[in-house]
Amino acid sequence: MKNLLPSTLATVWILAAPACVTDAAQQTAKMPEGISINADAKLMADFTAKVDDYLKLRKSLEGKSAVPIKNTADPKELLSSQKALGAQVRAARAAARRGDFFTPATQAQFRRLLAPPLKGSDGTENKIAITDDAPEAKDIPFQVNAEYPRDESLSTVPPDVLRALPQLPPDIQYRFAGRHLILYDAKANVIVDFMLNALPPLPAVEKK
Amino acid sequence: MRTRQSSLALLAVLSLLTADIFAQDLTLPNKSGTLKFAVIGDSGTGDSNQYRLAKVFMDIRQKFPYEFVIMVGDNMYGSQSTQDYVKKFERPYKPALDQGIKFYAALGNHDQPNQAMYKLFNMGGKRFYTFRPRAGVRFFALDSNYMDKEQLDWLQKELEASGSDWKIPFFHHPLYSSGGTHGSDTALRDQLEPLFVKNSVDVVFSGHDHFYERIKPQKGIQYFVSGGAGKVRKGDLQDEGLMAKGFDAGYHFMLLEIDGDQMHFQVISDFGKTIDSGVILRNRNQSKTTPGAGDPAVVTVPKPIPAGAKPSTATKQP
Repeated sequence: MKNLLPSTLATVWILAAPACVTDAAQQTAKMPEGISINADAKLMADFTAKVDDYLKLRKSLEGKSAVPIKNTADPKELLSSQKALGAQVRAARAAARRGDFFTPATQAQFRRLLAPPLKGSDGTENKIAITDDAPEAKDIPFQVNAEYPRDESLSTVPPDVLRALPQLPPDIQYRFAGRHLILYDAKANVIVDFMLNALPPLPAVEKK
Repeated sequence: MRTRQSSLALLAVLSLLTADIFAQDLTLPNKSGTLKFAVIGDSGTGDSNQYRLAKVFMDIRQKFPYEFVIMVGDNMYGSQSTQDYVKKFERPYKPALDQGIKFYAALGNHDQPNQAMYKLFNMGGKRFYTFRPRAGVRFFALDSNYMDKEQLDWLQKELEASGSDWKIPFFHHPLYSSGGTHGSDTALRDQLEPLFVKNSVDVVFSGHDHFYERIKPQKGIQYFVSGGAGKVRKGDLQDEGLMAKGFDAGYHFMLLEIDGDQMHFQVISDFGKTIDSGVILRNRNQSKTTPGAGDPAVVTVPKPIPAGAKPSTATKQP
């Protein structure tokens, strides 16, 4: 039964969210003041829609790149094509700001979603799994559009935690640095947005 | 100058000693027509230890012609510039690469995701993938850093479709490990083990902990931790009942040979000594729907360590 109920609820919630967006807005308008049962679903649907928009942009840039990312045996080509894509993303998102994805309301919702998989003995295991591999916060540039440092490890994100959060499309990932959550574009190696103190205080783990 | 000459002399003696050990030491059947492969993990430091083990690893291929290598992650530590790909992978394994030996990589926590696009890692641009080197044997490379729904769904589908093949997943984080620093990843185990049991997985290779460990079969599955091809964490094995054999005193790699329903293994240290060897016997008739009940689906029979070799046992250091 480990985390079954919260996970199931989160899954149902997330699966239901996109279909509910239009209805949610209509129903919320009809609700008595102070009652907005679908407001949280709408928040998550908005978040997912923004991620989808980002992905569309990134894919369109890939199509225009002079150095397209492709399978190659040449490490120089591999790195230069990723850097070129990262530069294109930065140029196209020059106006992007912290909180575009993680709005204050979305942050509050993410903290609520992250709480169940981090509770109890299973939660301790999940926290250890995150801390074990995550880079220290001081080693990561917390800036929208920044390049993720190529000499830093990437945190493990436990399956329980991934199940609790809105599902992301391939190549867009959640990662942690210290207690902070990063929305990471693995293909362009770009920090899309971030959320400070997403996690409660974590156990100290000896750094390897 | 004298120091340099002494070092060269010592290296020459070590090389001869190593060659001599190999001549005596191969415990694998080494039959023609069998599937031969190797496993390395946590290799990508680019330092002299990686190169020293790589030399042994390359040399033994003259005796045991493994066809491909699986890499269980942390293929590159630290920076991953163009030069790092050369220093931490292409140069140490050049003899094998030159002979067309394929390396199949899984991503570790130190690996940048774009390694999936690096042709010499044979990942086909994907962070998880499967390959079937020959009829009856299928490998599944997983990204244990990020076990999301997409990957779990894919794995379930691929395992179901793989029929009666040997099913061999490999990934970075061990589901079972006696490592004092990392140890078993129980959160990951909760997700993967039910799939492995349900779909009759036979053998699993992981790394992350910087030593060698053969786990006692768990629910009919043989797990190996092989994370010592570039780093070693001496004294980190802290057996609490999981370990069948362990080695944390030096670097190592694994050699494997599949012959029908038998998988032979031999684990070799940086000084060419055999750390562990044995055979995994697969019981095709064993149903794994009732894990923990009845006879195990795999039985691992260790072979005696050749004379002169001194495997390390788990010792807790103060």
